[in-house]
Amino acid sequence: MGAVGLLLIISAVTFGIFFLVPKAAGVTSDDLAARFAGKTPDAATLEAIKDRFALDEPVPVQYGKYIKSIVAGDTYDTGVETIDCPAPCLGYSFRTNQPVFDEIVDRAPVTFMIAIGAAVLWLLAGITIGVVSALRRGSVIDRVSMGIALAGVSLPVFFTGLLSLAFVVHRWQLLPEVNYRGFSDNPFSLLLPWICLAFLYAALYARLTRAGMLETMNEDYIRTARAKGLPERTVVVKHGLRATLTPIMTVFGLDFGLLLGGAIITERTFSLPGIGQLALDGIYQSDLPVVLGATMVVALFVVLANLIVDILYGVVDPRVRHS
Amino acid sequence: MKSPKVVTSAAAAAVALSLGLSACGGSDDSGDGGGSAKFDAGSTAVVNASDKKGGVLKYAQPDDFDSLDPANMYYAYALNFSRVYSRGLMTYASKPGTAGAEIVPDLAEAKGVVGEGGKTVTYTLKQGVKYEDGSQIKAADVKYAVARTFDRGVLRNGPSYFTQLLDADGYKGPFKDKNLDNFKGVDTPDERTVVFKLKKPFSEFDQVVGFAGQTNPLPQAKDKGERYGLHPFSSGPYKFEGDYQPKKGGVLVRNEHWDQATDPNRKQLPDRIEIQSALKAEEIDNRLISGSVHVDLPGSGVQAAARQQILTQPKLKDSADNPLAGFHWYLPINTEVIPNVECRKAIVWATDRSALFRAYGGEVGGEPATSIQPPTVAGREKGTDFYTKADANYTGDPAKAKEALAACGQPNGFSTKMVFRSDRPKEKLAAEAMKQALERVGIKIELAGYPSGTYTNEQFGSPAWTKKEKVGLGTYGWAPDWSTGYGYLQPITDQDAIVDTGNSNTSVLKDAEVNKKWDEVVSIQDPAARAKIYNEIDQRVREQAAIIPNVYAKSLLFRPSTLANVYLHAGFGMYNYATLGVTG
Amino acid sequence: MTAPIEVTGSEAEAQPDAVLKGVDRKAIQGRSLGQIAWMRLKRDKIAISSAVFLVVLIIVSLPGVTGLITGLVGGSPNKFNMPLVDATLGGPIGKLGGMSLDHPFGVEPINGRDLFSRILYGARVSLLIGVLATLVSVVIGTVLGIVAGFFGGWVDTLIARTMDVFLAFPLVLFAISLVGVIPSGFAGLEGNGLRIAILVFIIGFFNWPYIGRIVRGQTMSLREREFVDASRSMGAKPGYILFREILPNLYAPILVYATLLIPTNILFEAALSFLGVGINPPDPSWGGMLSQATELYSVAPHFVIVPGLAIFVTVLAFNLFGDGLRDALDPRTR
Repeated sequence: MGAVGLLLIISAVTFGIFFLVPKAAGVTSDDLAARFAGKTPDAATLEAIKDRFALDEPVPVQYGKYIKSIVAGDTYDTGVETIDCPAPCLGYSFRTNQPVFDEIVDRAPVTFMIAIGAAVLWLLAGITIGVVSALRRGSVIDRVSMGIALAGVSLPVFFTGLLSLAFVVHRWQLLPEVNYRGFSDNPFSLLLPWICLAFLYAALYARLTRAGMLETMNEDYIRTARAKGLPERTVVVKHGLRATLTPIMTVFGLDFGLLLGGAIITERTFSLPGIGQLALDGIYQSDLPVVLGATMVVALFVVLANLIVDILYGVVDPRVRHS
Repeated sequence: MKSPKVVTSAAAAAVALSLGLSACGGSDDSGDGGGSAKFDAGSTAVVNASDKKGGVLKYAQPDDFDSLDPANMYYAYALNFSRVYSRGLMTYASKPGTAGAEIVPDLAEAKGVVGEGGKTVTYTLKQGVKYEDGSQIKAADVKYAVARTFDRGVLRNGPSYFTQLLDADGYKGPFKDKNLDNFKGVDTPDERTVVFKLKKPFSEFDQVVGFAGQTNPLPQAKDKGERYGLHPFSSGPYKFEGDYQPKKGGVLVRNEHWDQATDPNRKQLPDRIEIQSALKAEEIDNRLISGSVHVDLPGSGVQAAARQQILTQPKLKDSADNPLAGFHWYLPINTEVIPNVECRKAIVWATDRSALFRAYGGEVGGEPATSIQPPTVAGREKGTDFYTKADANYTGDPAKAKEALAACGQPNGFSTKMVFRSDRPKEKLAAEAMKQALERVGIKIELAGYPSGTYTNEQFGSPAWTKKEKVGLGTYGWAPDWSTGYGYLQPITDQDAIVDTGNSNTSVLKDAEVNKKWDEVVSIQDPAARAKIYNEIDQRVREQAAIIPNVYAKSLLFRPSTLANVYLHAGFGMYNYATLGVTG
Repeated sequence: MTAPIEVTGSEAEAQPDAVLKGVDRKAIQGRSLGQIAWMRLKRDKIAISSAVFLVVLIIVSLPGVTGLITGLVGGSPNKFNMPLVDATLGGPIGKLGGMSLDHPFGVEPINGRDLFSRILYGARVSLLIGVLATLVSVVIGTVLGIVAGFFGGWVDTLIARTMDVFLAFPLVLFAISLVGVIPSGFAGLEGNGLRIAILVFIIGFFNWPYIGRIVRGQTMSLREREFVDASRSMGAKPGYILFREILPNLYAPILVYATLLIPTNILFEAALSFLGVGINPPDPSWGGMLSQATELYSVAPHFVIVPGLAIFVTVLAFNLFGDGLRDALDPRTR
């Protein structure tokens, strides 16, 4: 229920920003209509478009219609026939004459592949490094990996991405041009974006894990476990890491949810046609339904990811289960 | 000097005429795919001429068409490609050189016959022209095609000439008004005759009909309104196999009901045509160079990486063309914001043409402009420079600019704002170059970028906005609807063309002399006499310092050796898609 | 907490509890926190060198100083040097992007502007926006966080939910569309003044929940402490308790997280510039240069490296210093 409320609020705010702010800034419904039209539209064209898309209606009415079409679906008149846009209907893109929902579904595999691949990499690398560093606290390994980690969080994808494109792809030609091929076609077609993205996040997760491990390994129940004579490996993995994972999962839920809704910078840097790029193009071309739809999808993924994380808490953290 | 500068001159174009399509059969160069072709050969003549049938012709594009409905498109490359599957009454001639800019009969037997003092134009359909299902193309279908362009809410991407020119005020289009008899703008006295009824004479009606696909017939029963573009009903040499998938692509196969005998402007050589959309631009370049894609659909040239590769490797360079693309990247000076002509002259004098030239890509990116009309416009004269020099090394004349400033009463300069499209790096560089150059004489410029999606409508295309924000300068580029002085200059210089949103007369020029010429020229039937007036208008606008000539855009196009019958089409500013074939 | 975009810079939530516990333990013992922390910080060579670097960077990017330096080396950041660039390909002439004594970082492709001075001027923009935006976040985050944590109940629910909403937004999209629609002359500002104000507002406004969460959590635990109870039982008003009792105990964590938020905000600004909505040209910004480089990396790879390294080094310095600061305030995590 909270999730639905959150989505409602987000949709309302988004709607407000994209419809009311421009209006306050002096964008007229003629301007909006012109965004739908081709080169040098005449007045009659603008009139016809305004009429057709009901651009002169008050914003609350338009918002109401938008929400209604998400819940109950909508129909769309092409002039000759009516097209069904079943729920969840996120509107209709006037650029491609397709339901926005279809467009997002279309782009989703690219974004999912970026997000999932990178997430696997960064979780594996980040948590492993974090645990090792925590256990070897103060050692050379700890210092070096924490040094790299700190460097990692300071390296934005648009820098590492461009750098790898300029050198790995273009100058040295070690890897082909980055292009989405579909997982079954070529599972590693997005290797570079994964690495760039994972480097950034792995660094962060390594630090989170290390800090968490240091904290938990001092807890009484760990001492108890050790005192019971359990093997160190069991103590670290079953007891220490488990507790450490809880806060990491919270962060992960948010990070991953946001990425699923469009890894905008990564997609932009590598020109990959994912949801983020769709939304960005939507902004540049003023294709409002697409921008709105993409925003809603991001919010949905964040909410979903948080829900899943909440459920997983119980599985991972014994303290949550007991209470 | 690495690249020959002279190739795109008028003289070279004249040579090209003698090498027209008719000469194709005479070429015995069928075997060694394009090995003899040199850099820029395709700009003026047919490269790798071949009548070999078969093969798959592969197109790719980074984005997508505005639509595939011939009546609902405005992108030049979409109009170019639409000729592969759709025919209209008139179309561009399929010839290299400037001859390609001529509008010739397509489904019509001859050019339009003007009657009733210019208020009717009549076309007669050819015998035996058919749709993809073998049914006859009828005059009523043309009427229906024109009628549907009146519903600007549904077909909103395309041009709106018919709604403005035809005598059918109040008609809402066939989607709202199902009875076609209510449309009075076109008469069809019999199955092959189409009579257009104009409000007032319009001397370039053939061009209006021919440059776009708004007379391309379709039977009313086949119309799907807005979604017709997903699967247009073919009248050309190819037809769609299944629906076109936006942002993905589509396939076309031979249309066996198309008859070469009725159509001198198209060929039917490959077995299949495949379009792949939303492919990364750099990837398209790589595939072009490796030969696995034949044509980059937008036809605007390769990206920076491929450009460097091509220009530095002689073998690749020989497979590239560097033609004029039909655009002129000029810089309008807003005459409403800077009303004093002397102040505008100062801007022109101070302009650093060399820096602008470099910003737009140097000699591969363009050619310094004198006239506003680019050389691809029929009847265009080069003209003389006003307050500047069409020279790649000219950096402006600050002394003359100071004089003009003094004459304007602002000896210490003034301040204004310049806008550009923030997502176009070249325009940003150009704006920065203007700021640098004008500050030499004390003219202060504040720069502001806007997304191209709204720039030509809500910012630079809105006279009220430019006035409110005091925008005196902007970056702009213009390609004509059709390649005559009218098509090029009228929308950007006529006061009548000024609109509130999406305005193209970005100088907001309200010049009585120019307006008068525009009023007169539409009833002159002799093209040469019209061209003379167009050149006068061109000169007058520059004399008024309302437009700073900059560069005529050139694109760097790559033609894989397996692509046959390649040449630059003057009407579209890219390769002609209607005649391409594949060899090997 | 990771930042909302793929440009994560700080990890404000890396060890909140650890820091906070460390902090208030000292506070309760009544020692001078500042003195102890300063002694520890002095011993941290990495943090000190980072701080030195940042101080130098800040001095260098002060209005008068930048011009003085670029007057000696590099020249005006907006001056075109056409002879230094290949006319056809647009790349700088010479090795390493045209690096020389006159142009230590090389020159920009196409128009040959000096990269050294563009980087220096770009530093001012990055620092200004990074710091000001952080201030905005800190003010909003502290006020709302304290209010939520102190009053609890529906106020807390409302503010906590608001934070959730903010965290679930695709901020980049919003930022881009907002920058585009605000007309010039808004709030009496024009040109880059307006642009910087908008960027500061957007970045600051959207990042407040990160500070807000920490302040809220900390306030909640402080609220239950004896000294607050004592104050309350002596009839102190909520305002007094908030500002005199609780707020002073929050200074240390706020300082640490603010330091760590600055690099995040610098990265956010760079990301927005990269996407084309940064400050107006011709004024340089690091992200804007990288944005240009997306077109030009094939002819001028140094055009990626130079601004990229500038971002990296600056952000790293802030992170190292912030880390050191936190360690100084909480020795347990060393």
